[in-house]
Amino acid sequence: MVLLPTWMILAIPLLSFIINGLFVRRFSGHLAAKIGTIAIGFNFLFSLALAYYFFQSGELSTLEWHTEWLRFQSNLIIHIGVMIDPLSAMMLVVVNTISFFVHIYSLGYMHDDEGVGRFFSYLSLFTFSMLGLVVAPNLFQMYVFWELVGVSSFLLIGFYYTKPSAVSAAKKAFIVTRFADLGFLIGILLLGYLGLSVNQGQISSVYSPLDFLFLNNPDVGLQLASSGLLTTGLLLIFIGAAGKSALFPLHIWLPDAMEGPTPVSALIHAATMVVAGVYLVARLFPLFNLAPVALEVVSWVGLFTSLFAAVIACTQDDIKRVLAFSTLSQIGYMIFALGVASDLYPLGYTASLFHLFTHAFFKALLFLGAGSIIHAVHTNDVWQMGGLKKYMPITHITFLVAVLSISGIFPFSGFFSKDEILTAALESGHMTHYLVGLFVALLTSFYMGRIYFLTFWGQSRSHENASHHPHESTWVMTLPLVLLAILALSSGWLPFANYLWFAHKHDHHSLNMTVAFSGTLAAIIGLSSAWFLYSKNNFSKVQKIQTGMGQAYQIIKAKFYFDELYLFVTHKIVFNKIAGPIAWFDKKVVDGGVDLTGEMSQTFGQKLTLIQTGQVQNYIIWFIVGFITVLTLYYNTVL
Amino acid sequence: MIIYLLFFLVAFFSLLAVSSKSLYHSAIYLMGSLSVTAGLYLILEAEFLAGIQVLVYVGGILVLLVFALMLTQSDILVNDQPTFTKKIMAFGVSTSVFALGVWLLSSLHLHSIILPTASSPAPSIKQLGHAFLSVQKNGYILAFEIISVLLLTVLISAIVIAKKEKA
Amino acid sequence: MNSHLLEWLIMSLFIFCVGIYGLLTRKSGVGLLISLELMINAGALNFISIHRFLYPAQVDAQVFVLFVIAIAAAEVLLALALFMLLIKKQQPVDITQLNHLKH
Repeated sequence: MVLLPTWMILAIPLLSFIINGLFVRRFSGHLAAKIGTIAIGFNFLFSLALAYYFFQSGELSTLEWHTEWLRFQSNLIIHIGVMIDPLSAMMLVVVNTISFFVHIYSLGYMHDDEGVGRFFSYLSLFTFSMLGLVVAPNLFQMYVFWELVGVSSFLLIGFYYTKPSAVSAAKKAFIVTRFADLGFLIGILLLGYLGLSVNQGQISSVYSPLDFLFLNNPDVGLQLASSGLLTTGLLLIFIGAAGKSALFPLHIWLPDAMEGPTPVSALIHAATMVVAGVYLVARLFPLFNLAPVALEVVSWVGLFTSLFAAVIACTQDDIKRVLAFSTLSQIGYMIFALGVASDLYPLGYTASLFHLFTHAFFKALLFLGAGSIIHAVHTNDVWQMGGLKKYMPITHITFLVAVLSISGIFPFSGFFSKDEILTAALESGHMTHYLVGLFVALLTSFYMGRIYFLTFWGQSRSHENASHHPHESTWVMTLPLVLLAILALSSGWLPFANYLWFAHKHDHHSLNMTVAFSGTLAAIIGLSSAWFLYSKNNFSKVQKIQTGMGQAYQIIKAKFYFDELYLFVTHKIVFNKIAGPIAWFDKKVVDGGVDLTGEMSQTFGQKLTLIQTGQVQNYIIWFIVGFITVLTLYYNTVL
Repeated sequence: MIIYLLFFLVAFFSLLAVSSKSLYHSAIYLMGSLSVTAGLYLILEAEFLAGIQVLVYVGGILVLLVFALMLTQSDILVNDQPTFTKKIMAFGVSTSVFALGVWLLSSLHLHSIILPTASSPAPSIKQLGHAFLSVQKNGYILAFEIISVLLLTVLISAIVIAKKEKA
Repeated sequence: MNSHLLEWLIMSLFIFCVGIYGLLTRKSGVGLLISLELMINAGALNFISIHRFLYPAQVDAQVFVLFVIAIAAAEVLLALALFMLLIKKQQPVDITQLNHLKH
């Protein structure tokens, strides 16, 4: 399409990973960093050009490049390829942009780290995997890259591999998502099986049952729905999406994933990997549309997650954890927006993806800003920060932009996207969703304001030497912050509905005034409460509230003890009752069998050596005995 | 009838040769066995061969054996008889070979082949000489030469192997 | 004077088997040699007898047996030389001691 073949957008980060990972990082980590950044920079420009040309051409979807990979039967052929349609074009831009900014930021943030070469090669691997996922033309390739993304996430979360907490966080993330992927795989198999029995009619028989172009075709969808198993299949697939996007109850890995370096949190756990679940549901939306039960489940899970996470976020002290729960909450928004959409009220589809788009920018900005703060004060605890606005002006302003954006204040981007979600909920008649969503918006602005005021206002509560003031980060780190802030300001004005829509186009700019008004009111209430409680130096009111809530406060702060519950289940039940007997069987029976073969051979060999006596006469006896045997057996030939 | 007598003698001598306690006696019995075999050759009208048998085999090789006996002082071992198990094993093996051979041979139906009469004369020494030195296809000149070389080699190598080491 | 081939063959077979018995029984090296001579002798007798019964007018078997005798001589000679080596090492020629092929 553009000057270069489209698969280059995948090949470049892959090459960067291979070259950096295998060769360059052994000589110079910084060279690897630069190579990685340049590669992704190129990818960034390429994705912009691709998106531009694609949306200009007005086509609906093109299968840019594909090649046959596996052939199971004549009607079950798996291709690998690159498919560009509005959804994947938008995702390409998002992934490449955030990745590029994170690369630039990491040039500064990871500069003094020993493993900087390794870091950048992992970043390239992750970018490659995420891009492969996004442009996948069928569920199979998507699954393969889904797993690759999980692996890259594991490598990046556990980057500080000498820290036990980082290692266990990486394991947790991988295991939880892997467990969810079991459901995903079964769902894929189910859909594929159903798809095989569909009469294709006028559809070209080039497509195999796992292709998106096949599954999203309306005729095919109706036939699949009539089989009665569509809901089950879609729910199973949704389990996979829930794992990757950390929806309740598989949310436990995301807060712990903050053990990774902050640029990793910005890239993976804010903007790209965790939205893979949203992407998956959006991809299969024509099918979800035909299974209203599945859509209901989706919307309730999303809503509950966003409320749950927002409540917990109000009590956390670690700045990155607050942002992690905030991510959970916003993803909940995206998911429930998809859940309230249908072909009568398709606004939810556009709203969800629009929020994905804007959220990527301001969440990445929040994380990178938090990284800048952590870099300056060497602690994550908000109770040890304070008064930073005079020392770190750029970080302050950009962070403020992001906070206002996430709270949904006009004219920042979050206002437009969040309001569109609430409008979708209201207009399609989901009143509960609308009200709860409004309440969550209030909570969002409250806890974001909380950490903003605690970090930047008031007096410095830092435990460091009083004469050692925190200073602003280098331009390498602040440049991405500024660029992201600009995007956070401007991306709201994009006429998104012209590009991404379902069923029929919707006029983007007609704001529902009720929603706009109530949304802004909620945001203002939240922000002002935060200002009231946290911007001064006297925290007595906060103490009163905390003790007033008593036990409830402790439970919320402990994240409702979900981590402990999961640990209990895994240790007491899975390890002891299930894994233990299996391990015994493996050790005693399987290993024992192998050992037995070895011992048998040895004993047999030892017994055999007794024939070698060294006595000539014994050998002669054996010789003659053999001779006699042969003659008796073959006397026919002899005679 | 002479034939059966000679058969008996050969069998008798060979049995004694392998089972006698003293090696010297064994050698003597071997000599007897070989001589009777020469007699058997005579019955088969291979006179030259009978002569050679006595001259070379008995007179040369057997004497060499006796020399070997004396030089290697094998009389030390003379009184060590083989163990009973060994004897049983050996007896079993040789009897089975014999039984197998007899069985195979008897299924060949050789009854019809009898010793020929004077109508077909035995070959003469002249024929033998011609056969040794003939260069035709049925001649054994090559084998003859090789045997001489072999004997020479063996002589030299025996000397080399057994000679005294330089002090 | 009618005897048939079978009797001669069984005779030589008998001597051969006696030779095998001696081979497996004797402990001394020279004892082995003696049994070996018996076996060779049996083989030569076999040769001559078969040939005489089947092809009475030809000399081939006699030539062969002459060669066999020559080779038997060579073999005894070499065996003697080897025994001399053993004697020089103060070892009696006992084949049950010569078991270095054991390991």
